[in-house]
Amino acid sequence: MAAAVSIQGLTKKYLDVWNKAEITAVDNLNLEVGEGEIFGFLGRNGAGKTTTIKMLLGLIFPTSGSATVLGKPVGDTDAKAQISYLPEEAYFYESMTGWDCMDFYGRLFRIPEPQRSKRIQKALEDVFLDPKAWRRPLRGYSKGMRQRIGIAQALINDPKLLFLDEPTSGLDPIAHRELRDIIVNVGKQGKTVFLSSHQLPDVELVCSRVAIIHQGKLLASGTIQDLTTGDTVEISADKVSDSLAGKIRGVVPAAELVGQRLHIAAADPSKVNDVVDLIRGGGAMLLSVKPHKRMLEDVFVDVVMNEGGA
Amino acid sequence: MKASTRRNLGLAVIPLLIATMFLQAAIDPSVREINKGQKTAFQGLSGEFVLGPLLGLQQAVAGLLWVRADEFFHSGDYDAILPIVRMVTWLDPHQLDVYITGAWHLAYNFTDSSERSDRRYIPASQRLLEEGDANNPEIYDIAFELGWQNSDKIKDFARAEYWYRKASTRHGADERGQAKAPVPMFVWHQLAHSLARLGRLEESVDIWKKALAMSEDFVKKNPTDFSRRNVRGSEVHNLELTQKRIFSRYKHELDWEVDAKVGKGVNRETGEPLSRDTFVFVTGSEVSQKQSAYAKAGLSAPAMAVGAPRPPAIEPTWNTAFDARPLFTAPKVLEVKGRFNVGDGARVTVRLHDDSYRTAQLKEFTFDINQDQTLMLDQHSVRAGTFGRKIDMSKDPKMYSFKSNIYYLVFEFNPRATSPFIQDRFGWSGEGMADPKYLWTDSSLQPEVRWIRKVYRITREQVFGGSIPESAVVSNEEYARVMAEPGPAK
Amino acid sequence: MVTLAIAKQTLEDMLRRKILLVLLIIAVGMIALGPSVGFLSPRESSAVLRSLGLAVILLAGLLITILSGIQVIPTEIERRTIYTVLSKPVQRYEFVLGKFLGGIFTVFVMIAAMGLVFLLVLAWQEKRFDPEMLKGVVLTFFQMTLLGALAIFFSTFATPVVNFFLSFGLFIVGNLSSVTDSLISNKNPATRIMASAVHYIIPNFGNFNLQNKLIHPSVEISNANVFIVQNIVYAVIYSAVLLLLAILVFDKREV
Ligand SMILES: Nc1ncnc2c1ncn2[C@@H]1O[C@H](COP(=O)(O)OP(=O)(O)OP(=O)(O)O)[C@@H](O)[C@H]1O
Ligand SMILES: [Mg+2]
Repeated sequence: MAAAVSIQGLTKKYLDVWNKAEITAVDNLNLEVGEGEIFGFLGRNGAGKTTTIKMLLGLIFPTSGSATVLGKPVGDTDAKAQISYLPEEAYFYESMTGWDCMDFYGRLFRIPEPQRSKRIQKALEDVFLDPKAWRRPLRGYSKGMRQRIGIAQALINDPKLLFLDEPTSGLDPIAHRELRDIIVNVGKQGKTVFLSSHQLPDVELVCSRVAIIHQGKLLASGTIQDLTTGDTVEISADKVSDSLAGKIRGVVPAAELVGQRLHIAAADPSKVNDVVDLIRGGGAMLLSVKPHKRMLEDVFVDVVMNEGGA
Repeated sequence: MKASTRRNLGLAVIPLLIATMFLQAAIDPSVREINKGQKTAFQGLSGEFVLGPLLGLQQAVAGLLWVRADEFFHSGDYDAILPIVRMVTWLDPHQLDVYITGAWHLAYNFTDSSERSDRRYIPASQRLLEEGDANNPEIYDIAFELGWQNSDKIKDFARAEYWYRKASTRHGADERGQAKAPVPMFVWHQLAHSLARLGRLEESVDIWKKALAMSEDFVKKNPTDFSRRNVRGSEVHNLELTQKRIFSRYKHELDWEVDAKVGKGVNRETGEPLSRDTFVFVTGSEVSQKQSAYAKAGLSAPAMAVGAPRPPAIEPTWNTAFDARPLFTAPKVLEVKGRFNVGDGARVTVRLHDDSYRTAQLKEFTFDINQDQTLMLDQHSVRAGTFGRKIDMSKDPKMYSFKSNIYYLVFEFNPRATSPFIQDRFGWSGEGMADPKYLWTDSSLQPEVRWIRKVYRITREQVFGGSIPESAVVSNEEYARVMAEPGPAK
Repeated sequence: MVTLAIAKQTLEDMLRRKILLVLLIIAVGMIALGPSVGFLSPRESSAVLRSLGLAVILLAGLLITILSGIQVIPTEIERRTIYTVLSKPVQRYEFVLGKFLGGIFTVFVMIAAMGLVFLLVLAWQEKRFDPEMLKGVVLTFFQMTLLGALAIFFSTFATPVVNFFLSFGLFIVGNLSSVTDSLISNKNPATRIMASAVHYIIPNFGNFNLQNKLIHPSVEISNANVFIVQNIVYAVIYSAVLLLLAILVFDKREV
């Protein structure tokens, strides 16, 4: 699988002129995004997501490190022809109509007529923008309509790779779901999507792989499955004697005794059996055995909290 | 962009910049040519000068503009100054010098090729000053200038007196334009002079006395102010001179040696000796009165001889035997020959104007004069009892368009405008003048004034050649009547 | 062409601004009033009409050029619309050129509109068409082109406010060319060097002030047409220099 995005040791430092302190917005980041992936790029506010995307687009320049996009160095015009970008809180030319705006971007992609008009039409239909609004100036658009124009302009060149920076922020639940579906659709067409988001349930639904960055550093990356494995089973028991607890810890070291109650989070099903046997054999009272599925959110919180960032 | 591309682009800048320098050197001579003939203020008003006011920097821009106008002074380019004057006074209506200089240009500096000024601009000049005065009603400067222009240029002493008197009630401006200081003494002096010119001699003397009293007071408080002492000296001198002239012109032939001597004076009403040196002029009957007053005070009286008494009222005794003969030797070339028994140095005014011309008072300031109007004014000095010269109006068609069909050609002498040594012969208002043909008394002012004036009513054809018969002469009364009628509407 | 597409977008965006419309109305109004302000000058009302017309065009042109020159690029950055442009296959130099051209097209449209009104008023007033005045309008346009390039150059690194003072200040200094020219022959060597530097290095806006010649037909210059061509070439080359510099600076600019 060829890499749509490949990042090596990418670092961006900002010099805060007033405080004379250095902010490392992106810190030695290494990342690969495969072609056709819908890649979720996660991180808290200020983690460095936007900074990374802007570097990948050549809008700002890395302090060190390098990256290739679609196999070409950042800024390559041929590569850019196959990339599109929806900036965070995107803003367009307010006095233009939706159509004219799309037409302008179509020209920037050097798409000739009549192809351009067809592409515009298709893109606007794909994002479910009400055709009545097509010829109206953008300044009369609602946030959701603007976001649709944003996605549409990112589709107009039929790109191989889309950078979407928080595309669903600030939308109502229905619009939110519609946009999510659009992204899924895009993924189905074999396009690579580099999606930066805080909307973890979305990411979980949509993305095949994610990376989590914190304070500019990559903390975790992998498929959703990889990250969320380690589903656990929680076993609670009462009247656990100290000697029994010792035995159980022999099987599951992380078992925790509070008073005479025991809490165990055991991942391995065979161990669950062993522990249950021990409890029953040891005269204690089994209270519950609850399976517990890890969500991406948990992973995210775990990873970030463990880093001691908070 | 590749580093090498960047470097190449950077290098390309150098030859291009050098090219612009060479171009600049090639352009400079042309720019110099343009600026050499730089004539209009709008050149200077472009860009920076117009933007300034928009940014609220009126005063600064007005100042800059005025500095720029200075260039035009040096080149004598008066046409260019006036728009600047107009702009500056709009931008900053408190720049007194600008009104004054602008008005001066209008009144004095537009001339024909023989340096005769274009009098059609005088109403505009006056109006500009009046506007300036209205904008600065606390400050004397512009009122004074109006007085000056009316007496010096226009010889309208009544208006001069009006403005000088106004000026005397004002104040001088300090550096910040605040009207604080008392007006300079020369304002009072000019007021006194203008009153004398009007024949209002008592009033003139009173003003001199008032001025002298102010200076006395000032010098008492500031004994080391020597320039003010000088001013006081000139006031003493002028008061003396006026009194002497009144005495000699209307009462007695003055025995200068005796009467004008400085002596201990006495108050004429009370007979008390005055505390300071003063002049005492006495008529024959007063001499004995004076002497007894001195005796009463235990003082030795100064010698007080009296010249031959004059009649109580001046009688017309000085026959001026005036006449003037005009001849157009070529189209629009007037030759004047005249005689005038009044004394060398007197000036005869020669005026040629459309029959529709009237001395205008403008309501609004404008540079816009009636270009079709013809108004020529020349002054001819009397030498050995004769006057006259050639007046060539053919070279200045802009000033002398001769569009009218009828003209008045006027030769006149105003005794009030003439020099004191000539006035000595017949008084301030020509009381002693007699002329068999051309004497005319103007009683529109009191005291009235006698003029010498001869008026022709001529046609356009006559202007374009030929002699003018004496039958074209109209009476002074007729001319005065016509001039008093309202002119035809423009 | 991408550059032209950006220029067109810029032009349309500028032309939709009310301030420009207001300026245009005021300027055209002033030009149309020209015939009635002959009173400003005693003997030369046609000169007043001409100089007023040219001065109004210059002044309005100046405002429009500065307003658009200092704004076109910073506005894109401030509104973040630039992200959607530069992320597309658009070279940064194409962006700079497109923005510059858009600004200059705007200035052109405005000056052309005012110039047309001016020439019509003049023709109506004098009952004949005066092609000389067209030269004045054309030179004003090229003067503004140079000023626009200057403002664009500054806008690649300075904030609009700073840019305003820089561009406007240099415009005024550059307009003092007759002063600097005469100072070049000054006795004081320091003055001489300063004056030469200002005269030859700072864009010489004073070159373009042909008003005096146009207003006063008596002012003759030996080679009027050569002079005009020289000035146009000067404007073009110097603008090219400024644009090159703008491109070099903007190429390294983070947006
Ligand atoms: N131009 C800049 N100058 C200085 N610091 C900056 C600049 N741009 C970003 N930063 C800093 O870099 C860090 C990363 O910012 P970035 O915008 O990449 O975060 P983000 O992950 O996109 O956050 P969010 O989810 O809020 O959009 C932040 O601390 C931010 O303050
Ligand atoms: Mg962000």
